[in-house]
Amino acid sequence: MSHVPAPRSNRGYSSQHRAAPYLFVSPFLLLFAVFGLWPILHSLIMAFYATNGPKSQVFVGWKNFQFLFADPDFHTAVWNTLVYTFWSVFLQLPLALGLAVLLNQKWLKGRDFLRLAFFSPNLLGQVFVAILFSVLFAPTYGLINKALHFLFGVAVDTKWLSEPALVMPAIVLTSLWLYVGFNMIYFLAALQAVDTELYEAAEADGANAWQKFWAVTLPGIRPVAVFVLVTATIGSFQLFELPYIMLNNTAGPNNSGLTVVMYLYNNGFITGDLGYASAVGWTLAVGVLIVSLIQMRVTGTWKGSDK
Amino acid sequence: MKYFPYGKAAFSILVLAVLSGGWLLSNPPPEHKATLTYWTFAKPHYESYVQILPKFEREHPGVTVDLELVSNNALTARLQSAMLANLDVPDLFEVEIGSAATLFRGPTNDIGLVDLNPRLHAPGPDGAPSLWDRVVQARFASYTDRGHIYGLPHDVHPLQLAYRRDIFAKAGVDVTKIKTWDDFIKVGHKMTIPGKQYMIELSDSDSTSIEPLLFQRGGGYFDANGQVILDNETAVQTMCWYVPLVAGPHKIANSVGFFNQVEANAIEDGYMLCYMCPDWNSKNFENNDAHVTGKMGLMPLPTAVPGGRATSTWGGTMIGLTKHSSNPDLAWQLAMFFYLDKSTVPDRFRTTNILPPVKDFWTLPAFHEKRAYWDGQRLGDSYARLAPDVPPHYSSPVIQTATDKLGQALVDCVGYYNSHGYDERGDARFEAYVRARLKASADQIRAMIKRNPY
Repeated sequence: MSHVPAPRSNRGYSSQHRAAPYLFVSPFLLLFAVFGLWPILHSLIMAFYATNGPKSQVFVGWKNFQFLFADPDFHTAVWNTLVYTFWSVFLQLPLALGLAVLLNQKWLKGRDFLRLAFFSPNLLGQVFVAILFSVLFAPTYGLINKALHFLFGVAVDTKWLSEPALVMPAIVLTSLWLYVGFNMIYFLAALQAVDTELYEAAEADGANAWQKFWAVTLPGIRPVAVFVLVTATIGSFQLFELPYIMLNNTAGPNNSGLTVVMYLYNNGFITGDLGYASAVGWTLAVGVLIVSLIQMRVTGTWKGSDK
Repeated sequence: MKYFPYGKAAFSILVLAVLSGGWLLSNPPPEHKATLTYWTFAKPHYESYVQILPKFEREHPGVTVDLELVSNNALTARLQSAMLANLDVPDLFEVEIGSAATLFRGPTNDIGLVDLNPRLHAPGPDGAPSLWDRVVQARFASYTDRGHIYGLPHDVHPLQLAYRRDIFAKAGVDVTKIKTWDDFIKVGHKMTIPGKQYMIELSDSDSTSIEPLLFQRGGGYFDANGQVILDNETAVQTMCWYVPLVAGPHKIANSVGFFNQVEANAIEDGYMLCYMCPDWNSKNFENNDAHVTGKMGLMPLPTAVPGGRATSTWGGTMIGLTKHSSNPDLAWQLAMFFYLDKSTVPDRFRTTNILPPVKDFWTLPAFHEKRAYWDGQRLGDSYARLAPDVPPHYSSPVIQTATDKLGQALVDCVGYYNSHGYDERGDARFEAYVRARLKASADQIRAMIKRNPY
């Protein structure tokens, strides 16, 4: 005779079920509260203090923000970050999409190898890539100058990393090498998810390759494209390691490689004013939020219209 | 799953969580048992300390020292965090000169470092002079704040010029006749072949090279009281003199950078004839540019005026004692052991070429040895002769900003010079621009200092 469990009271069982999800997420919530939420809230408080060294704090109200918005270095950092973000979005993403479309073609021989090859720079990490490119961009002896001199007659002593006007192009070129393959993977996955029947229907209607791309492919990958756009923008706003290492732990000549996060780091961890750095951090966070909301509004994901 | 209604997966996670949590609780990380902790960022220092540490531990039974090699970039942030949390603060640490003053922020009572004044001025054992009298005193400038001395200088770092002896000899140039910068520039115009050969490596895009030359002329970022002097007459005249060296049609300097293969190539190819060479960089040349052994020479820095200062200083390391040390006297004994143990000085000098700041060590035989790399020159002697004359390098908690501002001013002045030209006899417009640009930089530093509510 099989064992029959004793009936449990419905009320007790139901309350257990209601509590269970909270119980399971509680370890995360606890850790997040201690190591995530509290530091975030504390940094908001610190943003209104001038901190000096390990102990001293003085309430300064909005003065950190007033100084920040008047500081020419912060203006430079914001401008540089926006320039980098612009090129990231308008150069990097189309290139990534183009590569993905190319590497999605069945007729292309060795496309698996090429996919790996284009993605592989991302396996190296920003610091290694930055060191590598700082040598490649070296004047007179750097490989890039030698190649440009050989191909186009560009001066071999072109100072990519010490000529203010060339610093940002050098950083953008490096980030292209690093991230195009990475974003390509997202687009590739999205392309493979587009329903092939739609292409067949378009062909039956006499659509050419461009029309198929415009009317079938782009709408099909839109959710992923929006995701890549938003994450690439946020990532661009957070630019730090690449220029910092390429420019030998500096902001480059005339702050030409200074980004907002580098400005935050310099004030928080080099100069030691964590209060001011918190003000920078919150300003950056609000800026990123606004830009992301605008992007979502423009791309139509604001109201979930991509569902 | 009779008594656990949420399924096997949830049960497994719970068991794993309980087991791993229990294991962590029953195996806490070992307690920090060393009596003293010492952080350094310089591998050569670390390696030399490791060798002699057993001797200190033998002389102090029961005392153990935890010597840690910490990344230079991480050290200041890690130290500040440790002080903030009052957790694992080292007893002693070494920090690079450019970061040292950032530790002096805030009210004096809140600074986490011990004022070394009493220990420095205490008489030495057996009637020996105090440490203050034994060390090159200008080196304390960077580590002094509001009358308190928070650091011992690890070094002096006098500056000379390293040059390609063979190329100058072939060109018939007697470098011993180069006494002033005017002499140097005249030779530079003769030796420079634009795009192929430059007289000297000097940066046109950051403060690396102009900073020591500003110090040489008695200028700097701050005076002894911490006031900004980046826009004083010395700074203006130094900038007006420096820019034509690195810009314009008659430039004799170019920049390829330091510390890497590019520098080695530039020296080996004769692309750069002279490099600014503090003692530590002479070891870089020996290690990285072996192909030019015997072809290199060292000469004092040309002077700004006849009979002027023939050196400057570049770089440095501070040794600090933290207030968090539970045994500051013992920590000081360790610092003195590393600092004054004569038995390791010769080897340390041979492996690093760094001249110690204790003047009476310079009479040791190791400092008079001939070096094959420098064509038999006595490297130690050549630096020791100049060391007493190194200029002070006054600092401030905003020193990093000041360094950046000087670099930015240089870039703008170079840009102005390239676009507007410059009359070698002196162009009032250029000088006016330099004056205004340096004032703008200095005012930005002043604004940062003013923001500090102390």
